Amino acid sequence: MTDLSPAGALLLILWGTVVALDLVSVPQAMVARPVVAGAVAGWIAGDVEAGLRVGVLFELFALDVLPVGAVRYPDYGPATVTAAALAADSPWQFSLGLGAALGLGIAVLGGFSLQLVRRANARAIQQLSAALAAGESGAIRRLQYGSLLRDAARGAGLTLLGLGCAWVLARYAWLDRSTALGLTLVAVGCALSAVIGGAMRSAGRGPRLRWLGAGALVGLLVAAFR
Amino acid sequence: MNGGWRAWLRLFAVQGTWNYERMLGVGMGYAAEPLLEDLKTVDPVRHTEAVVRSAEFFNCNPNLAGLALGATARAEYDGAPGAQIARLRTALCSPLGALGDQLFWAGLVPLLIGGTLIGVVLGARWWAVAGFLAIYNLSRIATGVWALRTGLDAGMGVGAAIAQSWISKAIERVGPAAGFCIGIAIPLVGAWYLEEIGWPAAFGALAVAATGVAVTRWFGASLTTVRFTLLALILLVLFRWVLP
Repeated sequence: MTDLSPAGALLLILWGTVVALDLVSVPQAMVARPVVAGAVAGWIAGDVEAGLRVGVLFELFALDVLPVGAVRYPDYGPATVTAAALAADSPWQFSLGLGAALGLGIAVLGGFSLQLVRRANARAIQQLSAALAAGESGAIRRLQYGSLLRDAARGAGLTLLGLGCAWVLARYAWLDRSTALGLTLVAVGCALSAVIGGAMRSAGRGPRLRWLGAGALVGLLVAAFR
Repeated sequence: MNGGWRAWLRLFAVQGTWNYERMLGVGMGYAAEPLLEDLKTVDPVRHTEAVVRSAEFFNCNPNLAGLALGATARAEYDGAPGAQIARLRTALCSPLGALGDQLFWAGLVPLLIGGTLIGVVLGARWWAVAGFLAIYNLSRIATGVWALRTGLDAGMGVGAAIAQSWISKAIERVGPAAGFCIGIAIPLVGAWYLEEIGWPAAFGALAVAATGVAVTRWFGASLTTVRFTLLALILLVLFRWVLP
């Protein structure tokens, strides 16, 4: 992990907050996608390559998620930011696995925190139900701004927690090279299983499955001859 | 009716107050506020009723929420009965959810993410990431403007406007394209990681991938890929600890 300056750590927390807000609340510009969040976090931490490696890995997990209706899913944005910070400034082959372990833990926690924010939003609506029934526009605005603040606090807290854990892991979790490499291999294998499972589920049995197969064939050829 | 642009901007935060009771309802009420302002001077009682209706339960894909927002705002100005407007909102939830989710979450996003992953692996790096953000956001902004305008023009006839629109044809095309793009990306990304580690070790990772696909399919929702991964990582560390 890079020795972060206070300004660097603050920038990462700010970026983690932005990506957490972007996931659901505002503006859904897709900066919460791991490949984007990871690249920028890597750049802030001074190691774009590590950020991209982490971002692409978490993107494979994120492709397994279809955010429809009230489905519950992990929050990969702040998770990618903290994992990229942990993986920065080390050869990715030995840091990606530990970063993935931390990031997935934060992602699960992020998904849980999203439920807490949604329940808090519902409670706030119940408290202002009389004003809503009276058609007060001010009550709607108060609810909206309050909810956005709650989600921003969630993102900032999650990123801060993740960076704290990353600091502890970088300082105290000593892994020999073969274990670190093994973690990376397991993380990459699991990420591939996530994206393959998600792609097959999305494809169903229709023409999309045939296109998926054709694409995989092209991808194999490109990978073999590039 | 004024306030169209402000309403469009507010639609970016339509999920801001997402909750399990009203879902997008309050966000829709927040976006509707600028559109309903003129009604306050014309008919204050109707305005109050319209504000109440605008924040009630609603759910759909956020990128197509403008259709429902515009249609209900137009219906309020046209003096349609309140119960009819409430029924229109309810009726729009499912189709706008299904169409938007297929177009964006199952179509455009995986298509562009697949392209981005291919770009990153082939060396485009920042260009791939910037291209993804630019194409996605341009598509989404254009869709949002179209949706709000169509809703405002169609009012209670928004169902017919949706049926005649480009959305169904776009879904037919974007789905297979997404499958193709993700199909190309999977082996390329796998090789991007594994070729630098060395192919003997990579076979271990591919065995983990095959096991993961089989096990998560077998157990279904009770063993997600994230749980499987965390379990595998913990088991590896424990194994190395016991047998150094």
